[in-house]
This record gives sequence, C-alpha cells and structure tokens, in this order.
Amino acid sequence: MNKLLQMDNLERYYETPAGVVKALDGVSFEIYEGERVILLGPSGSGKTTLLNCLSALDSPTGGEYTFMTNQKEGMDTVPRNNSEKMTSFRRENIGYVFQFFNLLQDLTVLENILLIQELAGKKDPFRAKELLKLVGLEAEINRFPGEISGGQQQRVAIARSIAKRPTLLLGDELTGNLDTETSNKVMEVLVSACNQENITSVFVTHDEDLVKYATRVIRIDSGKIVSDEQTKNDSSE
Amino acid sequence: MSSLLNKRLARSLWRTKLRLSAVILMVFVGVFAGITVGGYAYNLASMYDTMQADDEGGANLADLWIDNRSAAWTPEEVNSFCSALETAWDSSTVTQSLDSCEGRTVTQGAMFHSNDTGEHIINSLWHGIPDGANADRVWMPKGHSEGRPAVASDEIVIDAHVTEALELSLGDTVSIGAGNATADFTLVGMGYHPLHVFMTPEGTLFPPESGEYVVGYLSDVGMARLTSEVIGTSNIILLDVEETPSFDLPDTAEYEGEEIDAVKALVDASLVESELDARVRDRGQNEPVEFMRQDLEGTERTTLPFTVMIASIAAITIVLSLQRLVQSQAKEIAVLRTLGVKRSSLITGYLAAPLVIGGIGCALGALAGPMGMNGMLDFYENLVGVPIVERTVPSSVIISVIGSTMLVVFLSGAFPAWKASHLDPLVVLSGQNEMRVGSNLLQNLTSWMPTTLGLSIRSSVRKPIRLTMTFIAVGISLMLFGSIQMMSAGLQDTFIGSLENDQTWDRQVYIMPEAEGPVVDWADSNGASYEMIIEMPLGSVTDGDGIDRAITLVGLDLFEDGMRTVSVTHGDTPAGNSAITQVMMDEGSMNFLDWQVSDQRTVNINGVEQDVEIVGISTAELARTMYFLRDDLSGILGVNATSIYLELPLGIEVDSALGEASVGIVERQTLLSGINSLLDQQTQIFQTMMYLGLLFTVVVMFNTMIMNVAERDFELATLRVLGASIGSLGTMFLFESLLIGIIGGIVGILFAYAGAVGLAAEFSSWQIFVPVTIVPSVAWQLMSGVILIAVAMTPFGVWRLHRMDLIEKIKDLSN
Repeated sequence: MNKLLQMDNLERYYETPAGVVKALDGVSFEIYEGERVILLGPSGSGKTTLLNCLSALDSPTGGEYTFMTNQKEGMDTVPRNNSEKMTSFRRENIGYVFQFFNLLQDLTVLENILLIQELAGKKDPFRAKELLKLVGLEAEINRFPGEISGGQQQRVAIARSIAKRPTLLLGDELTGNLDTETSNKVMEVLVSACNQENITSVFVTHDEDLVKYATRVIRIDSGKIVSDEQTKNDSSE
Repeated sequence: MSSLLNKRLARSLWRTKLRLSAVILMVFVGVFAGITVGGYAYNLASMYDTMQADDEGGANLADLWIDNRSAAWTPEEVNSFCSALETAWDSSTVTQSLDSCEGRTVTQGAMFHSNDTGEHIINSLWHGIPDGANADRVWMPKGHSEGRPAVASDEIVIDAHVTEALELSLGDTVSIGAGNATADFTLVGMGYHPLHVFMTPEGTLFPPESGEYVVGYLSDVGMARLTSEVIGTSNIILLDVEETPSFDLPDTAEYEGEEIDAVKALVDASLVESELDARVRDRGQNEPVEFMRQDLEGTERTTLPFTVMIASIAAITIVLSLQRLVQSQAKEIAVLRTLGVKRSSLITGYLAAPLVIGGIGCALGALAGPMGMNGMLDFYENLVGVPIVERTVPSSVIISVIGSTMLVVFLSGAFPAWKASHLDPLVVLSGQNEMRVGSNLLQNLTSWMPTTLGLSIRSSVRKPIRLTMTFIAVGISLMLFGSIQMMSAGLQDTFIGSLENDQTWDRQVYIMPEAEGPVVDWADSNGASYEMIIEMPLGSVTDGDGIDRAITLVGLDLFEDGMRTVSVTHGDTPAGNSAITQVMMDEGSMNFLDWQVSDQRTVNINGVEQDVEIVGISTAELARTMYFLRDDLSGILGVNATSIYLELPLGIEVDSALGEASVGIVERQTLLSGINSLLDQQTQIFQTMMYLGLLFTVVVMFNTMIMNVAERDFELATLRVLGASIGSLGTMFLFESLLIGIIGGIVGILFAYAGAVGLAAEFSSWQIFVPVTIVPSVAWQLMSGVILIAVAMTPFGVWRLHRMDLIEKIKDLSN
C-alpha cells in the first residue's frame, strides 16, 4: 500500500491565561491508502485537534505533516498558517462529515451534492445521483433536508463528502447524533462507499462500538498516542 | 433575578454594538429632524405673526386690497368710496369694526444705479405710504433694520433685502423713476414689508438675484413728487378690519371665507355706489401673502411626514435587529424558561431594551435639535433675507416629537419581546426551530441555474418578511432622498426648459398703459425686434365650490412662433374673430377647476364678467394663467400692452433712453438665474433630508446585510470546511448584493415617484402648480445608488469570512 500521509512529532500548543496547553504533544504516525482509521480517546484527549490538523483546518505549532498530493512528485508539506492555501488543500484532498450533518436547508438533497462538486470545479450530476444511489437515497434526491430523517441526512452528508473524490475522508463524531441502529446503518454505508471509491478515512469517536468498522485504531490521551493497532478488518496483513 | 436577566440582555446587546449604534443613530436623526423642522416652522410662524401684527412693532397687514391698475383714483373718489363703505358698515351685520380705509399708490418703476460695473436700470416697485398710515406699513424691527420711515417728499426707505447688494447706506441719494418721470431721494431707512418677504416682481414667483429687483417705500408726498400727481391719488385702497376676519384658504377643501365675504359684499356695494371698477382681494387671494402662508404651512405639514418616515425606518430597523437578537438568543431563552424563569421576567427586558435605546437616541436628538433649528433659521435668514427676531425652542415640539418617537420605538420592540417570551423551550432545545423546509417554488425557479447562484438567490429571499421590511425601509429612505430630487428635476425640466427653449426674447420692458410708443420707437431705431404682450394678474374664476380664484391674464400675438412660445398639450391655440372669446389655460388651472377643453365659462376680468371658450391647455406654468389673443384681451381691458419683449441685435444694449421710457426692464438671463436660484434654494432646504435618506439607505442595507451574513455562519463555515474558497463565497455575496440592490433600486424608484407625487400634491395649490415628471437620469441615479450601496456591502461579508475562526465554528457545529 502507498503512504498517504505522515505526521512527525506534530505539536499543537495553545497559549492560555492559565499557561500553555499541549493539545498535541509530539504525535507521529503514517496512514496508508485504503485504511479506515478510528481515533479514540476521552474528552480533551486531543483527538479533535488532531483531526483539525489532518484536515488543515488548524495549523500545528511544531512538527511535520506531509501528504501525498501527487503520486509522481511524492509527499508534499501540508500548508499551515495560510487560510486560502489550507482551504485549497481541503478542497482538493479532503472530504468531511459533521456530527450534525450540516446540510444546506435551502438546497435539495441532490443540490447539496452538486454544490460541493461545483465549488471544486467538478460538477457531475450523473455521479451525484450515483452516489445517492450508493447511500440508498435515490428516491429522495429532490427532497429538502428538512423533509428526511437524521440518518438519511447523514447519508446525504456522506455522499456529499465523497462527491468530489477526496483522497482522505474525515469525520468528527459522525454518528454521535444518531441512535445505535441508525449509526450502524450509516457506518455500513460509509464503509461500502469508501471501499467502492477507494477512499482512505479517519474518524474521531468515543464510541468503542465503531471499532468494528475500522482497519486500524489509534488511541490518544493528553495529546499523545497511547496505542496504534491494526484490527481484524485489516486485509493488508 | 430580573436585574440579572436584564444585565444578561444588556451584555448581549452590547455584543451587537454596530447594529445598536445604527438604531440609536436613526432614533437620534428622527428626533433631531423633527425638532429642527418643527422648531423652524414654529419660529417662522412667530416671525410672520410679529411682522404682520397690528401693534407698534408690526407692519399691520391689511385685510382687503382693492385695486385697479389701469386707472388712478382721485383723493375725492377714494374718500367717496371710504365714506360709502363706512355708512354701509354701520348699518350691516358685520360685527368687527373697520379700523381703516386708506388710499395708496403702488407703481412699477426703475432705479438708476451706478457702480463699478456701470450704470444699471433696475426693475423696481414703489409704495407711497402716508405718515401715520395704519395698514401695510414698513416693518422696521429693532436691531434688524436701520433708520426710520420716509416722511418728507425727498425721503425713501429701500427694502433691506437689496441695500447690501446695492451697497447703499443711510444718507445716500438714489435716483428713481416711474413712467417718464425721475427724481432723486435721500435714503432714510432700510426695512421690510409684509408683501415683500419674498422679493419677487408682481406676477412671478421667481425672485431675481439680489439687487436685480428693488422695492422702495416713499411717503405719500414723495410719491406725489415722483408721479407728478396730486397727494392722495391712489390705485389701491387698503382695508384694515378689527382682528382678522376669516378668509378662505385656497389650499383647503373647506370654505373659510364667510367673515371676509360679508365685508366684501359691503365693498362691492360701495364700489358700485362710488362708480369705481376694481379687483378685491383678501389675504388668501393676495399672492405674496398667500405664498408666504403656504410656505409656512408647507414647512409645518412636512414636519410630521418627515418625522414619521424617519421614525418608521428606525422602527423597522429596531424590529429587525431585536428579532435577530431573539433568534440568536433562542437557546439561552429556552434554557432560562426550562429553569423556570417567568415569561413576564423575560418580556420586561425585551420591552425595556428598545426604550433605553430610544431614550438615548431621543436625548441626543433633543440636545442637537435646537442647533439644527438655529441652523435652518440662519439658512432661512440668508435665503429669504428677513430676520427671525426672536428664537425659542418650543417645548411642545420637543414633547410631541419625543413622545411619538418613543411610542413608535416601544411598539416596534413589543413584537420581538412577545416572541422572545413565547419561545417553546422543547422546540428550541431539540433544534426543531432551526429546521426548515426549503421552498419548492424557489427550487423550481432556480433549479436551472448554477447551484451557487441558486443558493445565493434562495439565501437572499430566505426571510421574506425581513426582506420585505428591508425594502420598505429602503423605499422610505429613498422616498426622502429621491422624491425631492425627482420633484426638483421635474420642476427644473419644466420651467427652465420652457424659459430656455421656448422663449427667445432678451429683455422684457414694462410700460405704463398707452406708453408703448417710445419703446417701439426705440426698438425700431436700434434694429431690435419687438412683440407686445399683456400680462396682468387681474382675472378671477369661480371654482366648483363657488370660491373665487385669482388668475393671471396673458395676451399674446403669436403662440407658436412668437418670442414667448406656449406649449400646447391639448386642443388648439385661441383664434380671433370668434363669437365667444377663445382662451387657453394652463394645465394646473384645468386640474384644479376640473374644466375641459371646449367648455364655455364666465370669468371676471378687472371686475367685469366675460364669457370665454377654452380651446386648449398649455403646460409649464407655475402660476395659474389664462391665455388670450392680445387683441381680444386688449378689447376687454382697454390696454394695448403692459410690457414689450425685445430681441436685441448683437452689440445693442439697453440704455437710459429705454429706461426712461419704461417702468422696469427684465433680462431673460436674469429671470433664468432667478428661477435656477429659487429651485436650488428649495432643493437646498431639503438637502439635509435628502442626504439623511441616503444615509438611512446605507444603514438599512448594512443592517440587513450584517444579519444575512451573521445568521449564515453555520452554512458558510460548513462550506469553508468543505473547501469553498473565500473568492467563491465572495462571489455568492456579490450575487446576493446585486439581487437585493436591483430589487431595492426598483422599490426605491417606485417609492420616490410616489413620494414626489405626494410632495407635489402637498406643495401644489391654486397659486403654485408643481408638476411631476420622471427624469430618467434621476431614476438611474437612484437605481445605481442602491446597487452600489448593496455591492459595497460585499467586502463586509468577505471580511467576516476572513475573520471566521473555523476551529471555533466546528466546535459550535458539534454542539
């Protein structure tokens, strides 16, 4: 498998009135193409900060973060402290699924997907419909988000996140707002979509039950990685 | 608990400082404008009262003017009339007593004035006022005038409007003329006259530039010396009645003239008994007096609409801002309600907030209002040239302006307050209040567009009520700005255009009756073309309510190819040799009288009934006018011409020979400058309002844009996280701004036109007809202005996007 990204001794420190908070304190790991990684950890462990750094929403204060943006040219350093370059990096490489779905209420299910394609310069209505079929919502394409259930909305959000063919899909507590049964359905759809689209994924959660959908589990606490294990789902071994 | 709740609300409001300031600014401006205009009107009214008062300090404005400009009455004829009137009065049921019946001579003339630029013949009007006169005296307020009234035969008082422009000082000798006579007088005073508050020659409403028209006040013996007539010879008789008998106000639908009608009936009978032909006018029919009253009425009438308009804009802004505040605090309110806070505790704060905001705005407005009022009074003094002797800040105006503003502010806060206290905690905390279903109609309408453009449009109209209120506020703001501009542009277009393009004369030479010969001889000998006209404000028509209306009679030889072309909108120009005299009337007269082309009517001309047939309607006349063929009018009046238009060959200038042959000479260019300057002045009076309107448009649009952007943080953050660049989101903002700008511009033009029509109706009366025409440049200016303001708000949205902390937003999105 090809290496997709690498973090070396990554640090994210915050200056606060009470002193320096080390949200990430020397985190190092590599992620390979096709992996489904789950970041587990208690509240305040730094897992969301790590996800923010991975998505280039946040800029690390130290360490290296490189990403395979182009197979021929090798690993590139991920931009930091430059809002537009970081946005551009996200647009070209990252898909993102939110806990509360964050669909645009004024757009239909289909239009929510078309919008992201349009912003990425890759508008493809056929693919958008195919993705909705993939997540089992082909009958709902002309409905508004307010007219469908939470689980369905999250499936639209998944279709939206992969519509522009991102290399890496990220999710923050993406089943946190759903019941167990719906969570499982959403995760199954997600796994299926990632496999079909050959998308690497990293999800933050505190729900141990979701480990069954991962190929690798990284546990984090106090800004440090405390364990990094492949699961039985990992077919690379 | 309640004080803590209010503290919480105050802190929340403080976080929206910019919007808070906008609301305070609007309330401030509303109160400021109300006090400024209200105080101005109050002091103006008090100045007119002081000037017209029948006391030592006032000029004692007459109640009736009886005149005949084509004849002069001997002192015996005047005495005979006054005696007949007194006798009739004694045996009448009129309860008020007759204070005085006085004969005067008022005559047109010229002043021969020399200065650095040469010798000038200035169009003038001379009054002969006897020592000890009762009515229509010269007004000489202490501290604002110089010298004393003229008493001796060589003394003159010159109206203070022009003494500065002519650089005259007490003791100077001035050379004046009337008809063929000239004489020198010594300047003994500078004062004002209630008939000449606005320095306009008779028959026109346009004041020439300062120093281009002179009014002087001689004694009766001085007038006799100037005109070589017997002392006491008169062409006007003034009646002063105890108190002021009620007279009809031409701009009202009701008839108020019963008291003066009783007096007029006595006057008519006495005129018949004394065998005198004359025109009888009360205060409502005397143009300078009525114009002054309507100017004041207009100012008073505009105070309320302007204040209400400004208060409405403030109210809309308050409603929108508080609504937004309630919306943004929905969760806090829901938590408080869940914790058991009573509705009444919540509603108190939300009701009190606008009152505090309004209170601050009102206090600031009340502090600044007197300054605005004084500024406007100073402006009036400079503009009109009459001193405002006493200035007071009327507490009644302050109380009514603040009271009505606070009421509007309170009412505008009531709905958001009610809404805040009635939020359902369960709905809010479950997030159901934020869920909404998009509009299928909008989706159908915009589905063919690029998704980003569709989203822009849907986002813009997401809150239709807010958007509608915004457009109403923008419309009202532009009503303030655009309607004044539209009215001014329409007036400019109509009147200046007419005088500039339809008239070709260079000079208008006024003459005494039967005195056209010397002017015609002068024209012939100097190679000048000439055209005689008759123009006299001696007509009177009866309207549908039976009220007599004064009308200017104009006799022309040519209507289409003459030096004064008349634009005909309907019908034809009058033809000669018809069984009934044919006339044409201006559109204002026809509108007011509700007369039609081909109607046959009876008009009163200089006291004599005359049947006429209306064959056409002319346009572009500020004053009410009836056009005759000159020969027809001459036959009725017995006067060949009252003035002569001259077209001068290149190099020929007016000289003293022409000046001596005339009673006044007007230059067309001077008249044009006068009209231009009057229109500019009128526009200047309203300029503050205009710019306030523009400022409000900016504030209202800015307020809405801020709210639009602020409440979309959720979706903007989502799009940013998903990789939308600031550029692409900025383009979306631009689309939205353009959309709002275009709709706002169209609404603005419609409101401005409606406002212009309303203003024109407000200012239009029998004396002044204000036409409204849409000048395309003004409409474009409004449209592009609003679009520009809307588009200029785009950088604000982009700036907010730059400042947006995505990490924090992601946290919010996960909570």
